[in-house]
Amino acid sequence: MSIEAVTIPKWGMTMTEGIVSDWLVAEGDQVSRGQEIIEVESTKTTNAVESAASGILRRIVVEVGETAPVGALVGVIADASVSDEDIDAFIASFAGANGAEEEADPNAASIRVIDVGNGAVVNVLTLGAESDSNVVLLHGFGGDVSTWLFNQDAFAQQNRVVAVDLPGHGASTPIQGDDVFQSLVGSVERALEVSAPGKLHLVAHSFGGAVAAAIAAHQPDRVASITLIAPVGLSKDINKDFLDDFITAERRKPLKDVLERLLADPSKISNDMIEGTLRFKRLEGVPEALAAIRDTIVDGDGQRHSIGGTLADFSGPVALIWGDKDKIVPLPEASQIPSNAKLSVIESAGHMPQMEASSEVNSIILANISKSL
Amino acid sequence: MAKISFRQALNDALRLEMARDPRVIMMGEDLTGGAGGNGVKDAWGGAFGVTRGLLGEFGPERIRDTPISETAFIGAAAGAALTGMRPVAELMFVDFAGVCLDQIVNQIAKFRYMFGGRARTPLVIRATYGAGTRSAAQHTQAFYPIFTHFPGLKVVIPSNPYDAKGLLLQAMRDDDPVIFLENKMLYDTMGEVPDGSYTVPFGEAKVVRDGKDVMIVAIGRMVKIAEEAARKLQADGISACVIDPRTTSPLDEDTLIEFAEEIGRVVIVDEATPRCGMAADISAMLADKCFDSLRAPIKMVTAPHTPVPYAPNLEDLYVPNADAVIKAVKSIIER
Repeated sequence: MSIEAVTIPKWGMTMTEGIVSDWLVAEGDQVSRGQEIIEVESTKTTNAVESAASGILRRIVVEVGETAPVGALVGVIADASVSDEDIDAFIASFAGANGAEEEADPNAASIRVIDVGNGAVVNVLTLGAESDSNVVLLHGFGGDVSTWLFNQDAFAQQNRVVAVDLPGHGASTPIQGDDVFQSLVGSVERALEVSAPGKLHLVAHSFGGAVAAAIAAHQPDRVASITLIAPVGLSKDINKDFLDDFITAERRKPLKDVLERLLADPSKISNDMIEGTLRFKRLEGVPEALAAIRDTIVDGDGQRHSIGGTLADFSGPVALIWGDKDKIVPLPEASQIPSNAKLSVIESAGHMPQMEASSEVNSIILANISKSL
Repeated sequence: MAKISFRQALNDALRLEMARDPRVIMMGEDLTGGAGGNGVKDAWGGAFGVTRGLLGEFGPERIRDTPISETAFIGAAAGAALTGMRPVAELMFVDFAGVCLDQIVNQIAKFRYMFGGRARTPLVIRATYGAGTRSAAQHTQAFYPIFTHFPGLKVVIPSNPYDAKGLLLQAMRDDDPVIFLENKMLYDTMGEVPDGSYTVPFGEAKVVRDGKDVMIVAIGRMVKIAEEAARKLQADGISACVIDPRTTSPLDEDTLIEFAEEIGRVVIVDEATPRCGMAADISAMLADKCFDSLRAPIKMVTAPHTPVPYAPNLEDLYVPNADAVIKAVKSIIER
């Protein structure tokens, strides 16, 4: 096998360096692809980094407690046949390459605030070089572009990545008026006309799945693939209390209790996630905007959206990803899954598999995108 | 989201609320700066520039300079609040509270109680506090424990630009009197702050940083000191949680108890002098309510029981710093 680098990831635009807060494996340990091997802390969040390769952790370059810039080499994975000299040479060459990369960084994320008419704006984060192939990331109810922190880089190598703050979320203006869902989809479509000309690979989470399906129904020729993570619209089942409690929770403790329902392992909800969500919900008009969106998702009979028909009619590849411990939008019955959709169930993941098992989810999404090419 | 200063965050809050609510008025010394002189209005915006630009926008009917008599203008603000206005009065230095303490603690704090719950006093008194500016013993004190002592006052001490704006908006919308204390050393601190209005609730501590070995409780400027200490402690393998109560009255006892019980080791950092201070108060509360969960004595890191020195080297020693916090943490971890 080759020699693989373990590096400081870049989570979000403002992250420039990370602190190695813990090594979860020791030098000489066998590690496998997807295994959590290191914990990195940025000013905003702390998260485990999964190994991108299987092999032996041959070298720890950055020790616990030390700070290193984004992209810096922190460890080296290789199998036993690679000599220590080769690993030393790899570390030496990496240092040079890393320095050069920092100069240019053509793939740096940038934020665009797009005017979509009537005084409203949609905030999008773009990543990667201009391309005819756009991976469009649509978050769920109450989320924002940061839903994709652990995914966006994986798609940017071969595509342009366009992550959207849905109207009423993040830095996008809330929808005014009655037809909330259609207006919301219209705003997103106008933002994508500007920010993502060319083919669209739609990747959407939860409520974003209904938005993705609407875009696919409107513009079937532009959409090249659809990957939905725990989307609404395939069954009537949904945890309505989650939506209500998310809107009404005004303080840390009640909101923590709500957010913990999102994950299979509630201890993974960090205080930064709670604080970030509180800050969003405190903004004037946000609770009202969220309530209006909730009312498009659910009524007394359960889910209101139905996307099965749109998916079944879609001619490109369709993938569905679900955590087996999802407590918000439970896995539908087999009969409710469109026959053209490939379903992957992620073990020990809740409603946010893109964060809980990011490597696995990224691989599934990339595989689905490549089917359309 | 824009990065703005603590000073600008306060200015934004005042501007947004004055635009939203015509009952909000302001009074204090040098708020308008050079009032009466041609072309120099708004030049100053208060001794620390917080109210700059507001006179031009809202006019002298709503924002006015007062004579140098805290007794008079704090009393006037109390009367205005009772009659339906929402005054924001600025005490240039909290050290001057001595000459208006009767207005604050015997009148303002007591109106609701003395009038059988039928009077509202929606009044904000903004004041600067804290050492570090080489301003000697009469312009540098941290009086928040004094105000916290009196029932009927809410006491707010923001530690960063985001909280400063959200807490000041909450203070102006509150129907009770609020003492809003701004540490002078924080005015130039930068942070991400949303453009629009939002409020941060009172009595809700902020978990500034997660950690499992020790809980550091810190207020106002001391939050930055605690964060610096926590970062340095991490290099030594000690994981420190930092909690910022944000308001000392009401005090978020629930969060403090929750984390004290979970972590078992507590260090409290307080810029005020140690006797009858917030460190002593929180320490007593935790000892009373969760003693059985504690794994070590509660440690207090405070200023010494002396006036703030004028000599710069002594003033620097006077204010608690990260090294003092680290020393206190290690004294209860390595025992």
